[in-house]
Amino acid sequence: MKTACGIWLILTAFLHAGLDFPATLKEVHAPADAETVTADFEFTNRSDQNVTVAKVDPTCSCISVKVKDGKLRYAPGESGLIRAEFEMGNFSGTVDKVVAVWLDNDPADKPSLALTVRVHIPVLVSLEPKTLKFDLGGKGEPQSIRIQMNHTSPIHVTSVNSSSEAFKQELKTIEDGKSYELIVTPVDTKSPGLAIMRVTTDCDIAKHRIQQAFAVIRKPTAAEAAAAKP
Amino acid sequence: MNPLGQLAVISGIALAAAGGTYLVKGPPERLLRCDPASLKPDELCLESIPAEADVVWVDARPRADWEKNGVLGSVLWNLDPTEDMQAFEAETAMRVAVTPRVIVYCGDENCGVSRQVAERIRGLDLGAEVFVLHGGWRALSEAGRVRGSNPDS
Repeated sequence: MKTACGIWLILTAFLHAGLDFPATLKEVHAPADAETVTADFEFTNRSDQNVTVAKVDPTCSCISVKVKDGKLRYAPGESGLIRAEFEMGNFSGTVDKVVAVWLDNDPADKPSLALTVRVHIPVLVSLEPKTLKFDLGGKGEPQSIRIQMNHTSPIHVTSVNSSSEAFKQELKTIEDGKSYELIVTPVDTKSPGLAIMRVTTDCDIAKHRIQQAFAVIRKPTAAEAAAAKP
Repeated sequence: MNPLGQLAVISGIALAAAGGTYLVKGPPERLLRCDPASLKPDELCLESIPAEADVVWVDARPRADWEKNGVLGSVLWNLDPTEDMQAFEAETAMRVAVTPRVIVYCGDENCGVSRQVAERIRGLDLGAEVFVLHGGWRALSEAGRVRGSNPDS
């Protein structure tokens, strides 16, 4: 009886082994002007029975997924490929996109697999820090945002617009086409405020052309107040 | 009776009992459970967030879902490349300036988008506390805390 149970358990484990993917995470380093990137996920049926790819869900309208040659049923030992094509849109930085794969009789809420496409998109116009914080009732001394261009050709700042008149800003050129400094000073710090500052450049790739940063006047959080204490 | 016959009888009785239970008690309860002990450092259980809590809810699902049944007063921030990421940043920044506590939710407990969005909000460095809701929209819906939901129905 024990032997029979053991054999049954081993067989069950084998029958559910399904498709074997050498990699379920693919990293793609895209050029700055790429409009789409593609990631291929190879797999092999390592089980002893046919496996069917019942459904693939890209979880985002920005990904199209195709199973090679439209083939969905794989015999033992047979290999295949799932190709995910990611539309870059206006993304920059690192983005993970997941493709869920259902095999055979997977429940609707429990796909067998999650394939991840990790796309690295260059940041051509970098603003650091992204937010300048001024304490409510504080001195309101000037702070600055570094604007760094990371492109093969020069990128110039053509304008800076602020959503609020509660802050003054001054642009300084550190190295023309390469590095700038945006100095921001609140008019006063008597009341809370927020400014959205849009930095427009002449970058030849449209989606990188305009970047934004923030300036806020607000009461420091408890954690910040504690950190500021000597 | 031989062993196969015994097996058939036992299976039959078990099946009948299961069927009877289903008919009397209904289908099994599949409500989402949130165990605070198993949460990741940036996750919260919905039970720990009162309905009237002063937080900025961020919906990381597609725009159509947010418009259909998002949390009332929530802001949208998803990773759909056709969306305007700078508009998401600006809208969230304006809300965070007033309410520096943010909770991000996406479709369900397996959705990784909310964590990516939370990371992007932290990257704005607005000084806000940013959390991810365990169970996502499903937890909110079961608790009747989204547009069009009712836990008593």
